[in-house]
Amino acid sequence: MSKIKNWYKTIYHRLFHLDDRLLLIVAGSIAGICSGLAAVALRLSLESVLEWLHPLRHYWWAFVLPAVGALLSSFYLEKIAREGAGHGVPEVIYSVSRYGGLLRFRSSYSRLISSFLTIGSGGSAGPEAPVVMSGSAIGSNLAKFLGLNDRQRITLVGCGTAGAIASIFNAPIAGLVFSIEVLLGEWKFVNIIPIAIAAVAGAQVSQAIIPEQVLFIHQPFDIMFADIPASLGLAIMTALISVVFTKTLRKVGKFSQKNSLPLWVRAIIGGSTVGLIGISMPLVLGEGYHFIQSMISDTFSLGIFLTFVAIFAKIFATAMTLGWGGSGGIFAPCLVIGSLTGIAFHKTLFFFLPSVGCASQGAYALLGMTGIISGVMQAPLTGIFLIVEITGGYEAILPLILVSSISSTMSQYLEPASFYFKELMERGQFMRPGTDARILSDLSLKELIDINYVKVSENMVFRDFINIIKRSEQNFFPVIEDETQVYKGVIQINAIRKYALDPDMYDMVFLNQIMDTEVITVSLEEDLLDVIDRMDLHNMDNIPVVENERFIGMIAKTKILDLYRRELIMQTDIK
Amino acid sequence: MELSVFDLSKYLGVVPETIERWVRQGKLPVSQKGINYRFHTKELQKWADKHNICLNLSDKKRPEKGKESIVPLSIAVENGGIHFNVPGNDVKSVLEASIKRISAIPDDFKTDLLARLVQREQALSTGVGNGIAIPHPREQLRYLHDSIVSISFLANPVDYKALDSKPVSILFFILCPALKIHLHLLSALSFCLRNHEFINFLNSRPDPDQLIEEIEILQNTNPI
Repeated sequence: MSKIKNWYKTIYHRLFHLDDRLLLIVAGSIAGICSGLAAVALRLSLESVLEWLHPLRHYWWAFVLPAVGALLSSFYLEKIAREGAGHGVPEVIYSVSRYGGLLRFRSSYSRLISSFLTIGSGGSAGPEAPVVMSGSAIGSNLAKFLGLNDRQRITLVGCGTAGAIASIFNAPIAGLVFSIEVLLGEWKFVNIIPIAIAAVAGAQVSQAIIPEQVLFIHQPFDIMFADIPASLGLAIMTALISVVFTKTLRKVGKFSQKNSLPLWVRAIIGGSTVGLIGISMPLVLGEGYHFIQSMISDTFSLGIFLTFVAIFAKIFATAMTLGWGGSGGIFAPCLVIGSLTGIAFHKTLFFFLPSVGCASQGAYALLGMTGIISGVMQAPLTGIFLIVEITGGYEAILPLILVSSISSTMSQYLEPASFYFKELMERGQFMRPGTDARILSDLSLKELIDINYVKVSENMVFRDFINIIKRSEQNFFPVIEDETQVYKGVIQINAIRKYALDPDMYDMVFLNQIMDTEVITVSLEEDLLDVIDRMDLHNMDNIPVVENERFIGMIAKTKILDLYRRELIMQTDIK
Repeated sequence: MELSVFDLSKYLGVVPETIERWVRQGKLPVSQKGINYRFHTKELQKWADKHNICLNLSDKKRPEKGKESIVPLSIAVENGGIHFNVPGNDVKSVLEASIKRISAIPDDFKTDLLARLVQREQALSTGVGNGIAIPHPREQLRYLHDSIVSISFLANPVDYKALDSKPVSILFFILCPALKIHLHLLSALSFCLRNHEFINFLNSRPDPDQLIEEIEILQNTNPI
């Protein structure tokens, strides 16, 4: 055993001292492979449970299946895994920005199980967010195992994510772009290489295990001239649908949180609703990859009206699944809604202009997917590259870019934050590297506080105090009670200048008479952002820190600026 | 509603040059370009919310530090009154006799005030020399409506443990509802007491109206 340890240590040190990038590349590819395996496992088990449950779907009571799934899933998350519901991507983003990508080991499998229960039973959700959570937790724990620092851990979290997305779609560039665009939020060279390798590793794992990628068979894509104005129209439609989708998800989720029903009742209500919708419209059930497949390959047979109904049914079913206790992501529902939107648009177009020379319905389904992904996640590059990889070529790049950029811009105008970031922004936890919020949250009051202050007693005579001032460079003097050392107030030299120059006052005044007792104070636990807001509000340049009625030190704006600048340089330094 | 560069610079607490640079760099939503930039309040509010900037366009004036109404010494003396022939043989008895005569102090608080004044004298004598003392409590007296300075001319000089060991025959009571006014009055009073002519004038036991007039003239020469 000790031999292995020594061997490991030598290898590790050699690698580490050689170059930190090499280590990241090796570790990143391991993370990519592991998260690729996790993604493949979830996909295969979802496929098999679909087949297994298929005969049951014909019974009249089949609508309770999603309810049972949601119930089991929420029970598992709440009681066994003890993790919050939801899809997990905001949690990963928060952890990356706040805790250097630190994630629990159990996160690497808990969401897989809960989303398997939700989606396998028919709940309308996507398996991508759970595999992202799992992949990033794998990366994070690998970094922990190797004893890496925060920066390296964040890279490995990105590697895990990229591997997972690349594996589930068999699309390595989409994995790379998603990981950097949505999760990490910064394009750094040190990140890109390991993440790219992890993405390729993830995709290779998926190809090796599932030789026939039934998910998205590469489609030929014949783009005509008329498709360009048509894609503008589609972009506007996808932007509107994206906003409706985002708003519905949030409204339904909030409504569910507001009522005081116990968790299991909520899961049953949500699941049964989805099940009931699923009886008349089975395409809302599950992650919907097979329906996407049929839509891309032009074998989709609903009429215009029903297609529109299906869009909203899927939106509602997804909101009911995710908001009422189910577990899963919104990526796959986005794809379903996107392809439905594309088809609905195509059908409408042909209804009014039957002779127009446009590309096939399947092509529009793909364009619609780009539009919805760009709109809902506000990640235009992910949308473009996913479809480019699915179509296997760049023939469609012009309409893709048009739809993606217009849709993301328009939906950003209507709904400023994407679905992933909205929650974080509301909680004030959206902190991209190099932003004000991030720097302020990284700096703690303990780093800023100046504790070298001479304290004075409230019973001191002014004359003695004048003698202290003469020898001191301090501008603020905390005043404390004699016996208990309790903080009473602060004397600002600027405020007492008038009296300090008047020798007749020296023996007439005690310090408790000239101290300012109404100075706003803060405690060490407070956020720097709140502290600065308070200083701005009261026009203060220095603020005393008081903890348990004891004076600890002062925080000065000059010091904040000094450290802020250094922190900004450190965070935005591109290596 | 539209705002000009100058208005906005006031709201944001920066100079107009900064606003102009932000517009040039495309950081601020501007509704009219050219020599006179104009800003829509609605757009600005949206911009501020997005960037987490504290911008309150509804009330124009920032809450300025409330200036306490500074009471001139002469008014404070008028509030407190001037009392002659106050009896007593020691510090405590003269203080007690003086407090009795000050009508501005509610009767319920008179014993408390006496205790505070005596405590203050025990800590450090308020006798400033030249036969004058300035008794005052160390705490603010919240029950008072106005700041008062009350002058007591003692019937018999009293040993006050003053700095120059001279017996004290004139007491200036400074009683304030807030410490800041207290310091101001103390400072104004010590300015007056530095003037030897004024001390001689005091020792002549002048008429109250004359005394207040003299204080008024003197305090106007105070540069602070």
